[in-house]
Amino acid sequence: MHSIMQQPFKNAVLILVWGWLLFLVLAPNLLVVGASVMTRDPVSFLSLPLNLDAYRQLFDPLYLDVFLHSLYMAAMTTLVCLLIGYPFAWALSKVGKQRQLVLIFLLIVPFWTNSLVRTYALKLILATNGLLNSALMSIGLIDEPLQLLYTEGAVIIGLVYLLLPFMILPLYSVFEDLKQELLLASHDLGAGRLSTFVHVIVPLTLPGVLAGVMLVLLPAMGLFFVPDILGGSRNLLVGNVIKNQFLDARNWPFGAAASIVLTVTMAFLMFAHRLSKRRIGEEGA
Amino acid sequence: MKKLALAGLLAVGLTGCSSEEPQVLNLYNWSEYMPQEVLDRFTEETGIQVVYTTYDSNEAMYARLKLLDDSAAYDLAVPSTYYVSKMRQEDLLLPIDRSKIEGFDNLDPELVNLDIDPENQFSVPYLWGTTGLAVDTADIEGEPVTAWEDLWEDRFDGRVMLTNDMREVFHVGLRVLGYSGNSTNPDEIEAAYEKLAELMPSVRTFNSDAPRMPYLEGEADVGMIWNGEAVMGKDTMESLEYVYPEEGIIAWLDSFVIPKNAKNPEAAHQFISFVLQPEISALISEEIGYATPNLAARDLLPDEVANNRASYPNATDMINAEFQTDIGDDALQVYAKYWEMLKSGR
Repeated sequence: MHSIMQQPFKNAVLILVWGWLLFLVLAPNLLVVGASVMTRDPVSFLSLPLNLDAYRQLFDPLYLDVFLHSLYMAAMTTLVCLLIGYPFAWALSKVGKQRQLVLIFLLIVPFWTNSLVRTYALKLILATNGLLNSALMSIGLIDEPLQLLYTEGAVIIGLVYLLLPFMILPLYSVFEDLKQELLLASHDLGAGRLSTFVHVIVPLTLPGVLAGVMLVLLPAMGLFFVPDILGGSRNLLVGNVIKNQFLDARNWPFGAAASIVLTVTMAFLMFAHRLSKRRIGEEGA
Repeated sequence: MKKLALAGLLAVGLTGCSSEEPQVLNLYNWSEYMPQEVLDRFTEETGIQVVYTTYDSNEAMYARLKLLDDSAAYDLAVPSTYYVSKMRQEDLLLPIDRSKIEGFDNLDPELVNLDIDPENQFSVPYLWGTTGLAVDTADIEGEPVTAWEDLWEDRFDGRVMLTNDMREVFHVGLRVLGYSGNSTNPDEIEAAYEKLAELMPSVRTFNSDAPRMPYLEGEADVGMIWNGEAVMGKDTMESLEYVYPEEGIIAWLDSFVIPKNAKNPEAAHQFISFVLQPEISALISEEIGYATPNLAARDLLPDEVANNRASYPNATDMINAEFQTDIGDDALQVYAKYWEMLKSGR
């Protein structure tokens, strides 16, 4: 590479990457950290002295409760995404190349529509006089419309709908890398289907699972517009608390502290992901 | 709400990129609070493009304007009463040059020169309205609903809708207990919270985006609504009634203000004058169902609008009515805490 890459070009790329990281990643995050240790001010939003009150407020039972409920809904979302995404990704890696392209294309098409618009569309389906209820009633499965909208379930459905592709894509890439020879070897050595799945397929696809979990779990706690639209502004996520603190309560230090909790959780998950990758790498060697 | 806000942001971004000359008015307004026709006619008449962005709460609007940076450079916003005084005191507004405003004398003398802005140095009334009870008469049985208190009845379990507005929801709680909706007494606010917490299991949803929608969608049968939304909702669903609760209605007045960092205050003045024309004010009131403070416009309204009690309450309807006032930051923090407890309690 060194011989191909001209010195000025290399420098330009490095400056771009570092500049990007410094100004668009590090600086904003430092601002958030800075805001989180300042004092709330009704007129100028933030003021001195520095203190940790915002973090103390996080341990208020009220917010602990919101955080746990949010984690629960995000975990359910992740589980459902995994249960659907895992077999989907597996099947995707099995079909012919042509069909694979079509399926991946279909997976990505919804991204061309803004997620907000798609969430509103989901509302039309789940409403009392919406498509789902009218369909179920017309085929006689139910007599009374089900109350789907503005429930915890509706929030989870919305989150699964928006985040499923983020689970499927990393899983698809590990299934693509899964060597057929390893499965055959396992089979030749006398392992049954279940045994091969548990001892060969699952460990080899674990990095994909963890990557998918990371891409789903954390965003699921932050997508505040989903509870706003489908949850009737109840069933709050951590994202709603952060948004409310910045927009309604104007408690910036607390909003910043809450978002740092999300960032730290993310960092922790990424750390776990790396550990697991290393462990699998060693086992493979 | 957000869909519109997002579309608005997109529009701002797009106009920001173009380098052409046409003048632009950045208007920041409540969602569903200005007929498109008015904007079109303004552009037709003046050649000024209107970039229309919306918000669904005073708090959200204030938080954006407070930044006073380019990302929030609006030429005109429409805060409610208590936010006019707050923003005026915090020096966020440009004074309105009355010599550039035509038709100010058309405004109802009772709605100008209020405490929130003496002499109307910083604000010009746009519309006023009320928050009252919505009742889907087709879906409820038994006694008619006449008071906020009725929302607590068992028969409405899971069928109640509240606006997603902290001050309004607590106003209801406070009035039911016989306190002022503008209470700053922490004990009274706490009592209102306790009362509202009893109502929460019945509450199906909060909505300040388009509060008529949960009624039209069949998700809620009874609850809070803004009068204009009730008027618009009745066009679609005949059985949606607007009721003036016995404890008293919540009244508000929304006014045009020009933020300090406005890029085109000239166009803002032009737009205010444009709206103050009796014909335009009448059109707005007729389209979106809120009451115009423009007396000259009221004479132009068709009878069915002028006599619609939902839009234009009579003296009896306004008994016990209370205008929202600025309660100060300390009280606001108390409300905010209980509001979060209320909404996260399950």
